[in-house]
Amino acid sequence: MEPLIEVNCSAMECTSLLSSAPIWQDILAQAMTGELLAAMNYASLSEICDDPAEVADALEHAEGERGHAAAFAAEGRRIGVDVTNNVDAKHWKRLRKAFLRCIAERDFIACLIVQEIMLESFAVASYSRVGKVAPGSLGKTFARIAAEEEDHVDHAMSILRSERALDPQRFDDKVYRLHLDVMTTLAQMLAKECKDGHCEVCHASCVKPALFDVSLSAAELRGASLQQYLKTLDKLGIPGEVTLAWLTQLPV
Amino acid sequence: MVDSAAGVTRRGPAIEVDFALIGHQESWRAAADVLAVLRGPERTPLPDGEIKDILPWIPPRAVCQVDVGSIIGAKAHGMYIDSFIPPDRLEAAYVHENIARVRSAAAYAIKAGAKIVSLGGFSSILIEGNFDQLPERHHTVFTTGNTLTVAFIVQGIKKMCALEGRNLQRSTLLIVGATGDVGSGCARCLGPIVNRVLLSARSVERLRRLAAGLQAEGVQVEIATDLQRFSAEADVVICAASLASPSLELGRIAPHALVCDAGYPKNLSPRAEMLGAKVFFGGLGQITGGLRFAPDFHGILNRHPFPDVVHGCLLEGMALALEGRFEPFSQGRGSITSERVEEMEAIAVRHGIYLAPLYNADGPVEDELHLSDGMVERMSA
Repeated sequence: MEPLIEVNCSAMECTSLLSSAPIWQDILAQAMTGELLAAMNYASLSEICDDPAEVADALEHAEGERGHAAAFAAEGRRIGVDVTNNVDAKHWKRLRKAFLRCIAERDFIACLIVQEIMLESFAVASYSRVGKVAPGSLGKTFARIAAEEEDHVDHAMSILRSERALDPQRFDDKVYRLHLDVMTTLAQMLAKECKDGHCEVCHASCVKPALFDVSLSAAELRGASLQQYLKTLDKLGIPGEVTLAWLTQLPV
Repeated sequence: MVDSAAGVTRRGPAIEVDFALIGHQESWRAAADVLAVLRGPERTPLPDGEIKDILPWIPPRAVCQVDVGSIIGAKAHGMYIDSFIPPDRLEAAYVHENIARVRSAAAYAIKAGAKIVSLGGFSSILIEGNFDQLPERHHTVFTTGNTLTVAFIVQGIKKMCALEGRNLQRSTLLIVGATGDVGSGCARCLGPIVNRVLLSARSVERLRRLAAGLQAEGVQVEIATDLQRFSAEADVVICAASLASPSLELGRIAPHALVCDAGYPKNLSPRAEMLGAKVFFGGLGQITGGLRFAPDFHGILNRHPFPDVVHGCLLEGMALALEGRFEPFSQGRGSITSERVEEMEAIAVRHGIYLAPLYNADGPVEDELHLSDGMVERMSA
């Protein structure tokens, strides 16, 4: 079937989109999976909130993330590709399990650290990079969602900073424990090559080697994500020399 | 339970930060070694390709705590902040990116409450004429550290002349990178001592201004923007150019010339052919009152064949902290005078910070035993 290109872009951009549609399809699939996972995480979070306002807040976030997933699916339709998702794909499943462990412990703060500090750093940084190079409405959608995710992080930051002020050492130990769990998985996802087999989200072979064709690279997405993560930890007040050591100890 | 010591140094009560040292690694090997220490011996070192991919994304931040002691009992606590300028991005093409990195490192030092900040390597070159570009400073002062660098270069030249039995007063001194803060400081200190000075730099206007100042002091000066134009008369050479990599080839110089490479990164190309020349690295000092890094970066952050050797620019901040003089001792470009150098030398010596033993890429260039007491006294004088 001839792909239907409906994006608001120039003729040259449309031609480029035609040839690169399979790459955008995988990028959108990863993003959509991440958004659906975030929606599930916020829905789970709502179940452990005591304060009705917090419940409403978590459900609102869940709805927002579902909206983002829908927006990515719509972008796929515009360029004539079917954007699938797989929250049970191996890396995403491990991230979900890590979050559910925090839920099982009814640890609201740990949930915020995983979702807002770790997963959202990854989302904000990678969507921003994609937003800069993707043509037309595709780029605009990624940039808009990156900005919205950044707002989430700012909101959580004030809660987390207050929590850290109570006992910095205990808080930092908690972040480190979660870092070992979640960031190790994210680092494996962000590795330049998927060394341990197919990620179960890309529709065919791994998209990473093809990213150069759309002016992206796996190394750039990883670098930007890790930078965003470090900057977010800086904003929390965790000493830079500590987080630098954490970063260097991640798998590559 | 996760042992917090595995990833987090358990912190005691907040310790005042007397000084911060801002630097960057001059080679990918050095950068790899820094990351390897942070990664820990139990993990396999990061492959070189991964380091080149990851390092440019690391925001400037502290790498380790530094404690320095003085021979008169003073102590100062500080931190080393790496700006993570990639070693292959020191060229002019990256100047804006690199200034932003140094600014960010400066902001980190300010936030940490450092009382004085020394700017190492390209950090000072990027900022020396643009101190207004630093973030709002509150109680933090900045020094380029160039005065102590000049002091150690001058001391090194004098020591090398003594070792080689040369008469500095009869020498023709060539300074490459002469209009920079370090180069011009060396010209002012050594110009009145030597027979003749040859100044080389890129800007003819700056060369003219520097030469005019020296000539007014009775110094015999020649200038050239083209290094190759100089005669082969230079028998003492100081290389103090801001080069992104060791790429300088001096061309014609006198046989058996003494060449001080004071660059960071080094100036001289490894391919440079200088028949019979005695090359040594300049601008380095040695702390004798104790130097401790936490985590232990000995031999990693200070990659020298002798213990506790540090570049003069970083030592200046430590010396001033030990002295309790939290002031912007070296700022701007072209204000280093022999009087200021002597003042800084006196501060350093008081705390047991001396010229480091001389060495080059092949190892030590001197055998301390060859120096007679009389020679040492003359050099000190």
